Amino acid sequence: MKRKLAVLLSAVMAGSVLLGGCGTTGDMQKSTGSTGSAASKTTASQTKSSGTTAAGSKQVYPAGTITIYGTGQPQYLKEYFDAWLDRNRDIAPDVKIEIVQTESYAKSREKISMTSVSGKAEDLPDATYLDPVNIMDLSQAGLLKDETEYLKPFVSQMVDGAATDATVSGKTYGLPSSVRPNVLFYNKAIFDKYGIDPATMNTFDGYIKAGEDLKAKSSGTVYLSYISPSSKTWRYWGRRGMMPQANAKIWDDSGNVVIGQDAGTKLALGTLDKMYKEGLLLKSEIMEPALYDAINSQQVATFYIGAFWDEFLRKNCQKTSGQWRVMSSPVFDSVGKAGAPVSLYFCIVNKGKNVYAGLLEKMWHDFHFDTKSRNEWVDSMEKQNAPYANPISLEMLKDEFWTKPSDYYGGQSFRKAEGDCLKNSAANLVITPQDAEADTIISTELEAYIAGNQTLDQAIANMDKNLKSKIGKAKIIK
Amino acid sequence: MKRALKKYRAPYLFILPFFILFFVFQLVPTIWTFYISLTNWKGLGTPEFCGFDNYRTLFVDNMFWDSFRNTVIYWISGFVFIILLAILIAVLLNSEKLKGKVFYKTVTFLPYVCASIAVGLIFRMLFDERSGLINEFLASLGQKRIGWLTDMSFSKVPVIILYVWRNTPWYTMIIFSGLLNISRDYYEAATVDGAGVWKQFWFITLPSLKNILFFCSITLTVDSWKMFNESYILPGPGTSNMSLFQYMYQSGFSIFKMGYASAIGVILIIILGMISFVQFSVRKKQMAL
Repeated sequence: MKRKLAVLLSAVMAGSVLLGGCGTTGDMQKSTGSTGSAASKTTASQTKSSGTTAAGSKQVYPAGTITIYGTGQPQYLKEYFDAWLDRNRDIAPDVKIEIVQTESYAKSREKISMTSVSGKAEDLPDATYLDPVNIMDLSQAGLLKDETEYLKPFVSQMVDGAATDATVSGKTYGLPSSVRPNVLFYNKAIFDKYGIDPATMNTFDGYIKAGEDLKAKSSGTVYLSYISPSSKTWRYWGRRGMMPQANAKIWDDSGNVVIGQDAGTKLALGTLDKMYKEGLLLKSEIMEPALYDAINSQQVATFYIGAFWDEFLRKNCQKTSGQWRVMSSPVFDSVGKAGAPVSLYFCIVNKGKNVYAGLLEKMWHDFHFDTKSRNEWVDSMEKQNAPYANPISLEMLKDEFWTKPSDYYGGQSFRKAEGDCLKNSAANLVITPQDAEADTIISTELEAYIAGNQTLDQAIANMDKNLKSKIGKAKIIK
Repeated sequence: MKRALKKYRAPYLFILPFFILFFVFQLVPTIWTFYISLTNWKGLGTPEFCGFDNYRTLFVDNMFWDSFRNTVIYWISGFVFIILLAILIAVLLNSEKLKGKVFYKTVTFLPYVCASIAVGLIFRMLFDERSGLINEFLASLGQKRIGWLTDMSFSKVPVIILYVWRNTPWYTMIIFSGLLNISRDYYEAATVDGAGVWKQFWFITLPSLKNILFFCSITLTVDSWKMFNESYILPGPGTSNMSLFQYMYQSGFSIFKMGYASAIGVILIIILGMISFVQFSVRKKQMAL
């Protein structure tokens, strides 16, 4: 009897192990029906909203939670989306928003890809913020919604090139979220203290000279800027910074590796090398407490970086409030182009039945074209020292709200300056599906150079050699 | 065969759950890994066969060899420091003269139960070049600050320290349980014969712990080659302290070269298989002697 019972229990255990892995794929989500067969209802309501159908009836979205992946400090966007949902309860009575913060856009892509590979489409987010490099892979895998037709009527109403970087083989896979230039933040108080005119930093030669003067006059206590010992140096000084400005190339038009011989690369990275060798750059990881301490102690005079850095300065460096100003990036005399714009996109995930796709498009539209609600949100962000970007809508930019002076920038209007810095911008580096791997290879050599293990010439030669041996040729997608 | 199955039905059913789990979660994925390593699959779409291209690329990949070298260093240093410290702490815990054993056992095991990522973040602050406590201490002694995580020569040190600190308690408990099984009579007899502490340790304690130490060596070898958390949370410049497992993860889930990552996985399987074979062969010879 005991033996039979033991045999029976073992069989039950074995059976449950087998069934345990198979049981959940077909499950329908009960209360959070963000996908699935829950059809949206239509009503004959005549209430106006931005989503009224042609027949005069509105589409009402089913109850559930919309999940959005974002990087940086995306939780502040929830404030706008929650307020938007409150204003639009007639079409989304029981819809909630959940923002999931990821470490980087690459991590968002990683999470989406892994979820897709696992076969659990219902666990995919409804939308995600992505940069152009990560849009390339996901769009090719069919994971992003094609927004070409939806965007057509709005393109002329947006800043130049807003949709360009999300366009792959003629199709646009993301709704433009922001177009932010690479700018130069400088601490005016430091420059006043040492009698250096910031206007001389309009060229890279002038920028380096300013750094040399700062170092001499401060006896080495004040640095021109920082250098990160990690991959962020390539990201901010290289790919998004000096490489586009120097008209540098990683690949030629056929996808062959040319970084080793490219004059632009030598110009861009050579400039970084000069600054680093002369001790003008503080070696400290960006977005970490040690660097914020140095900023608050007035040890770092400038930041050559994307306009997004504004949110980190305001959040972490209140001690230097009123001291900072913004100007256009220095230019290389031989090229004459200012910082390249960094575009960010709001991408709707293609998860088979994304019942909230239309709702997300409406939310995106109002965020970028409804001046009143956008301005209210920005005011709230300013009070909280939270991040916000300039609008991409040309009409919205005309509003005097976007020329308001900022106390943090000593009366200068950061919003106006950000818009002005988009002028004369350099073109971004060509984006290829191999860029994510190429960035890793290039950054590894640059980090070894920063650590003092090789010269810059050796680093560039190794980048060239390793790109050729590991990748070979990139696929150029027009 | 049928008679055997009928006769031993109950025992077979008892071991069936393990074999189902092994088959589904270990054997099938291992075979799948071998297959994927021969393709250039990006994680989405259909894998395309590419033969041994991934292996050819591996052998000329500097990043692969750097992470391989790092992992060997972690293995050897972890092996030496963890085993030595674990034996020392276990012997101290087992000492009759120690008061408050419960307290010391609890404190000893604490590092193992702390979340590795949380502890790693604390270590990152401790080893920060400009504001870390370690460099502050060195500066107070008049020494130069060290770029622990920014200098390629030193970037492995914090990783090794974290790895040893976190894993020593586990092996301490295993060795301690082995010490508890050694009869006190041996030590009493040795004392009567005039053997000192060191001789008792060398001729009684260590031989009695042989099987336990062999188990620890196998487990520690596998753990070291699978190291990920420590090197991930304490990144150094370039690949100066990247482990092989971390490089495999990066290749698979950051760059999405699943085929390439699978090839690294296959190399790891072969390496661990070879090391285990050597360890078992040596042990077999020792037992034969």
